[in-house]
Amino acid sequence: MTDKPVDELTRRCPRLGSGITFEYCLISGEDDLPCWKILDCWWEIFDVESYLKANLPEAVFKRLMSSKPVNKLASILEIAEKAKKQAEKSRNT
Amino acid sequence: MKKRQIILNADEIPRQWYNILADIKMNPPLGPDGKPVSPDMLAPVFPMNLIEQEVSDKRWIDIPEPVLDILSIWRPSPLVRAYNLEKILDTPAHIYFKNESVSPPGSHKPNTAVPQAYYNKVFGIKRMTTETGAGQWGSALSFACSQFGLECKIFMVRISFDQKPYRKTMMAAWGGKCIPSPSPETKAGREALEKDPDTPGSLGIAISEAIEAAVTDESGQTRYSLGSVLNHVMLHQTIIGLEAKKQMEIAGEYPDIIIGCAGGGSNFAGLAFPFVYDKINGKQIEIYPVEPAGCPTMTRAPFVYDHGDTAGYTPLLPMHSLGHAFIPPPVHAGGLRYHGMAPTVSQLVNEGILTARAVGQQKAYEAGVLTARSEGIIPAPETTHALACVIEEAIKAKEEGKEKVILFNWSGHGLLDLAAYEAYFDGKIKDFSQTDEELAESEKIFAAFPKPQFIKNV
Repeated sequence: MTDKPVDELTRRCPRLGSGITFEYCLISGEDDLPCWKILDCWWEIFDVESYLKANLPEAVFKRLMSSKPVNKLASILEIAEKAKKQAEKSRNT
Repeated sequence: MKKRQIILNADEIPRQWYNILADIKMNPPLGPDGKPVSPDMLAPVFPMNLIEQEVSDKRWIDIPEPVLDILSIWRPSPLVRAYNLEKILDTPAHIYFKNESVSPPGSHKPNTAVPQAYYNKVFGIKRMTTETGAGQWGSALSFACSQFGLECKIFMVRISFDQKPYRKTMMAAWGGKCIPSPSPETKAGREALEKDPDTPGSLGIAISEAIEAAVTDESGQTRYSLGSVLNHVMLHQTIIGLEAKKQMEIAGEYPDIIIGCAGGGSNFAGLAFPFVYDKINGKQIEIYPVEPAGCPTMTRAPFVYDHGDTAGYTPLLPMHSLGHAFIPPPVHAGGLRYHGMAPTVSQLVNEGILTARAVGQQKAYEAGVLTARSEGIIPAPETTHALACVIEEAIKAKEEGKEKVILFNWSGHGLLDLAAYEAYFDGKIKDFSQTDEELAESEKIFAAFPKPQFIKNV
């Protein structure tokens, strides 16, 4: 495992295909969560589980650990519905 | 000189895609309200002809001639016998691969980008939007749109936009308009920028921007496009496996083992699904989707895969439920949790028709370098996971003294991803494994959480 400080850690993101820092993984998830792959991507490099438990707010850590796979069509529809409602609202104001 | 490549004639290109939904039972996809999604709900996002494919249960779907015309720029793709890799491994296995790196963008992605652009065009759509990370999907869609005279707007996650100049250039060469996300062009983008003007962006924001740009276009002539996960994408990719079947017949062999890397699942499904059809009908084949090794503590406690929470789900017998009674094999993939994976692939793993495999980073890059030095092509980092599994199986074949036939998908080249190899050559990538004691310590972190259930479609 690495001895590098956490904020110096970098790796290739399998979702983006670009190089990223660990810090990016902490902020790039949905609903103010870290990315759902954070454990899978970093466990080979440092003790990410302990780090997250120690450094995330308890509620955030619990939500991250309990996160379930997203239904892709549902999430697309949700985003589309939200966008249409906001556009409608802007037209009416 | 050995004959390495089996090339089909242009008129041998498959004329129909294979739809796995004809042969497996899936719960209907649910919308945000928890009720089954109707085609009309998807109409603002996708053109109706693609929606029909998304929900179709017809086994064979005709590939339109204009689509075949564009695909024929590089298809049928070669089936290659990896003689050099076999020699270096000193294996009796016969190793074949479908070379999907030969497409203009360099991967399997345009196999679906092209039909998607076509169906949008015939539906009367003038522009398509999508999101992209490093640009593989964005460049594939730009290429496809250029073939059919469509505008293409790609929201590229900012952190990647700043790092990947050449993918942006590819998109521009094909007429795609690549915008760093978050952007001021959408409400979703403006909100993100207001929160943090220096934000590096995320896929979530880019997806929101791309969908918003499509559904709020008052002309109604813009639609969104996705490069993986959805059924119509898997359908389009089956051209890979359908060609491979014809080519394997010419080779006089049939695969014992099929391997593909699996992120969203589309390149794997493309190769594997036509052979899954054979397996469902009695053929003995091992089929392995390969992922990066998942965190062991997480993979020991698989979470619910809840795509479709309708009535009809029942838990398996208690002996298969979790906790300490459930000990997965050492190379257990993280895939049981299946974030981001195509539901059809997940379903087939859950049914036991596919067996998920996992590979550590170092093994993956080692395999990539070994194969680059033997077969010549530098593989995309994603492909290296499949290669590592191929090498494992080839070594196993040697130990067993068996002439197994291994077929895998070479999903793309890595020529625009060489920074990943640099990190490997600089010694920055190492495999790591935990002892049982260390794992037990890690598991204490999850002791307070409820143990989820492994549930199955019935």
